[in-house]
Amino acid sequence: MIIVGENINGTLPEVKHILLKQDRDRLLELAQSQAVAGATFIDVNVGTGIGSRQNELAAMQWAVGAIQAEMDIPICIDSADPLIIEKGLEIRNGGRALVNSVKADEKNITQIVRLAKRYDAQLVGLAMNAAGIPETERDRLTACRKIAVACRENGFSIENLYFDPLVIPISADARQGRVTLKTIAGIKSQFPDAKTIMGLSNVSYGLPGRSRLNAAFLHMAIYEGLDAVILNPLDEAVMSAVKTARAITGKDRHFRRYMRSFRYPAKEKTKNE
Amino acid sequence: MNEKEIFKEISFNVVQGRFRSEDEGIEEGLEGRPGVKDLVQKGIEAGVSPKKIVVNALTQAMDSVGKKFESGEYLIPDMLASAECVGGAMDILKPLLSKDGVKTKGKFLIATVAGDLHDIGKNIVKIILKGEGYEVLDLGTDVPADKIVETARQQDVQFVGLSALLTTTMRSMEDVIQKFKAAGIRDRIKVLIGGAPTSQEFAAEIGADAYCSDAFKAVEYLKQVQPA
Repeated sequence: MIIVGENINGTLPEVKHILLKQDRDRLLELAQSQAVAGATFIDVNVGTGIGSRQNELAAMQWAVGAIQAEMDIPICIDSADPLIIEKGLEIRNGGRALVNSVKADEKNITQIVRLAKRYDAQLVGLAMNAAGIPETERDRLTACRKIAVACRENGFSIENLYFDPLVIPISADARQGRVTLKTIAGIKSQFPDAKTIMGLSNVSYGLPGRSRLNAAFLHMAIYEGLDAVILNPLDEAVMSAVKTARAITGKDRHFRRYMRSFRYPAKEKTKNE
Repeated sequence: MNEKEIFKEISFNVVQGRFRSEDEGIEEGLEGRPGVKDLVQKGIEAGVSPKKIVVNALTQAMDSVGKKFESGEYLIPDMLASAECVGGAMDILKPLLSKDGVKTKGKFLIATVAGDLHDIGKNIVKIILKGEGYEVLDLGTDVPADKIVETARQQDVQFVGLSALLTTTMRSMEDVIQKFKAAGIRDRIKVLIGGAPTSQEFAAEIGADAYCSDAFKAVEYLKQVQPA
């Protein structure tokens, strides 16, 4: 399962500071701690909300360059701006990369799909359109279909497409947990060759005990067929949930991953401390 | 790779439970290295005797897995992964072994007795015995005593393993043994029993030859009655 570490996000005050100061050591620390905890991709979002597009371009170039100069880990380039995405793709080393993201919006869907194709990257397609996030799974699947069509028209293989069903805080609308899960199921049945990905932690926004909710939601999503997840890998509860869910759904052959984490109870305890 | 190195690699990978090269092992980072399947094929191509592969690599590795299971270091999935490797290796080697005139260790009939549908334990024993080089005939679950006796006679079976998980169905084991006697073939068959409610005492009471608390106990018993 692909685990995208979400901790390098310019909207977080600490990260904003790192990006503004170009604090290389602390950036690498953030990337390394996530990799050690089990992240298989590092998300890089340089949108700090301040400064110009030029600043953001420079920040993307700096951050991706700094991480990949030290670490052999693929980057998830997190931006809706085709120019910034391209900057990230340009600077990345030859390996795997994930573009996060494109939505069913005429404005730049073709441009982003073509970028992903040209740079041989994988692509996250959000189940939303120009008007925003649809409330029902039916409308989210319609958005997915538009993205699938754009991929086909531009020769981008749907096997490299990760649909994001979108996660909305359940605190504001308790029906939304089910909508996300049903959207995953719908994607899996309508686009069997495509993959699925979601940002986990949004589900619990505004509620206490977030990591419990996140872990429970992740179990359900993996049951529905989630292939990849964007989360905070330093959160033991959700990282454990990846392993328990995959063990229960038969996706962890011979329970290798599960066993490696939980075989020795004493060891597990010291690891948690 | 010389013969010794091939044996060592096969053993290592059986213990790691890796049959194909893409399989993960107990330890991290082994994916991509040759698995038991590749190594056995390599051995055959290099002219290593199939019998030696069985004796010097597979059997030894499985012994070590048995010990790890006994000590609690290995758990059920670990053991099954290893047994799968040996079973897969035997599938490759079997035609060559019979060409070499090497016989299997014998026919082992296994069944969950009448009225009982539990088969997890039985299936584990089946995999382990197959890995040990027995020809295993699995009659499934809820098998009537008559069918067990009839098959044992027709197929000229030397060993019979009976499984039951319920106190109500374990009594059927006695029925099977009585029917072996009535059919006049009790003397040429070793009857092994197992399952949660059974015990050494129960085995003695119904006249079974061995009580096996797990698959490796069965292997141990079979080694006693049939030295290699």
